[in-house]
Amino acid sequence: MSRAVTVFAIIFFLLFISSENAVYAMHITEGILPPKWVITWFAVAMPFVGIGIYHVKRKKRQMPVYLPLVGTLGAAVFVFSCFPIPVIALNGMATSHPCGTGMSAVLLGPFVSVLVAAIALLIQALFLAHGGLTTLGGNIFSMGILGSFSGYFAFKIAQRCRLSLFWCGFLAGMVSDLFTYLGTSIELGLLVIGKGGSFIKATAEIFGVFMMTSQGVLCIVEGIVVGFILVFVYKRKPGILLHLGLIKDDTKPVQI
Amino acid sequence: MGFLHHTFSEVYARRNNWLTEVDVRVKLLYIVLLLAINLLTKNIFIPLFFLSVSFSLLLTVKIPFTAILRSMLLPLSFAVFILLIRGLHEGEKVWLSLSIVGYKLVLKEEGLWNGLQTCSKVLGGISLVILLSFTTTISQLCAGLKWFRVPNTIIDLLALIYRYIFLFLDEVDTMWTAQRTRLGYTSWKKTIKSFGILGGMLVIRAFARAEQTYEAMHARGYEGGGILTATLPPWRKKEYVFVIGIVFVLSFLIYTRHVRVW
Repeated sequence: MSRAVTVFAIIFFLLFISSENAVYAMHITEGILPPKWVITWFAVAMPFVGIGIYHVKRKKRQMPVYLPLVGTLGAAVFVFSCFPIPVIALNGMATSHPCGTGMSAVLLGPFVSVLVAAIALLIQALFLAHGGLTTLGGNIFSMGILGSFSGYFAFKIAQRCRLSLFWCGFLAGMVSDLFTYLGTSIELGLLVIGKGGSFIKATAEIFGVFMMTSQGVLCIVEGIVVGFILVFVYKRKPGILLHLGLIKDDTKPVQI
Repeated sequence: MGFLHHTFSEVYARRNNWLTEVDVRVKLLYIVLLLAINLLTKNIFIPLFFLSVSFSLLLTVKIPFTAILRSMLLPLSFAVFILLIRGLHEGEKVWLSLSIVGYKLVLKEEGLWNGLQTCSKVLGGISLVILLSFTTTISQLCAGLKWFRVPNTIIDLLALIYRYIFLFLDEVDTMWTAQRTRLGYTSWKKTIKSFGILGGMLVIRAFARAEQTYEAMHARGYEGGGILTATLPPWRKKEYVFVIGIVFVLSFLIYTRHVRVW
């Protein structure tokens, strides 16, 4: 079967190259998930979105500028997630795009990042036909919940380990990307249960296909870009990072 | 990023035609219920019917065929991916066995049939979503969601994020062109560094823009409530007819067992 997967990875890769010269593989498209999984993923995602709303409302009361801040940063992260990053293995013949959830989790916190991801996914589903409305819950789980929390905790752990700002950003970007693809693979892997397939095997194979194509490299690239972004913002406007709680004191130099 | 700007510019939704004039609440109700039917059906013809009707409706309001096809291309490739995954994994009965450069691929009948069902659902579902997005502006959508009691925070953020995507796309485009003219993308290493600077500038501008936006909102009387004040008119006879129509269609499909809800 491993040989089949290799051939399959090539087919998958060629399919995506043919689609607008861009790879948008982390969204589960409309109609893929059966009803029971649609309900399950919505049930999993909604409490996180609800807590995200609560966080925004609470912070809005303390700091009224918070709502437009989440709106503009959400839009910035959305535009960042549209950056056409060239796939190095193909010498730039195809491009991929970052998730952006790692960056939004670092800047806004994990729960608000889930909310922003949910809105971004709704916009993408409606206006770009990436993802879908019935798969919104599933996509919020993989991209919003797993992506945001893994990226946020990676950043915090890296900070605790006293790594430089670049490496903290790198780990947040890379880990959130990896977890997003893992989440998508789990959701797709779960579909084979009860149909003669093995969940673990299918998940591992789908995740393997993601990593073997451009997405494995993309995780590293997104990490580097997020690292560069944080360092750039720190050098130009450290007050922003202080305001968002990424650094504790902008008068003391931070290792970059 | 040019194609994104075109996609987000609502060029088709802002046109005046009979589909854009349909009440957004009716459209939302129809799309949600039809998506549920699309999901629950065991029949491949119902999703394909949705696909053909959506295509026909969009063509009647002169949406270019290429624009519809471009929107469908990615979901279609994902559907083919699922078709192949299921064909390789599910079932016992071999439908096709082939060898590609020494690698043996075995496609099974049951898996392929299940995959085909999924493919039809993807096409049917996506065509319905495209039908909504090509005929509804974001302001209509927000007003509709507000009517359906979606939390204000979601609607406010949806409106804000959507509004600033345009602005930042323009700004990023300008900065990107400037970076390109200064050879910022000549090598892969330079490309990544340039993207880092671009993303950093985006964060700085987003922060500055948030302050300006809040000042403008405050000056216009914003006190922390909902930012959208538009309300929809009361339902007319036409809207009631539409809603009764979908209830009948749904009841018929459940009665004839085309849609199984239990």
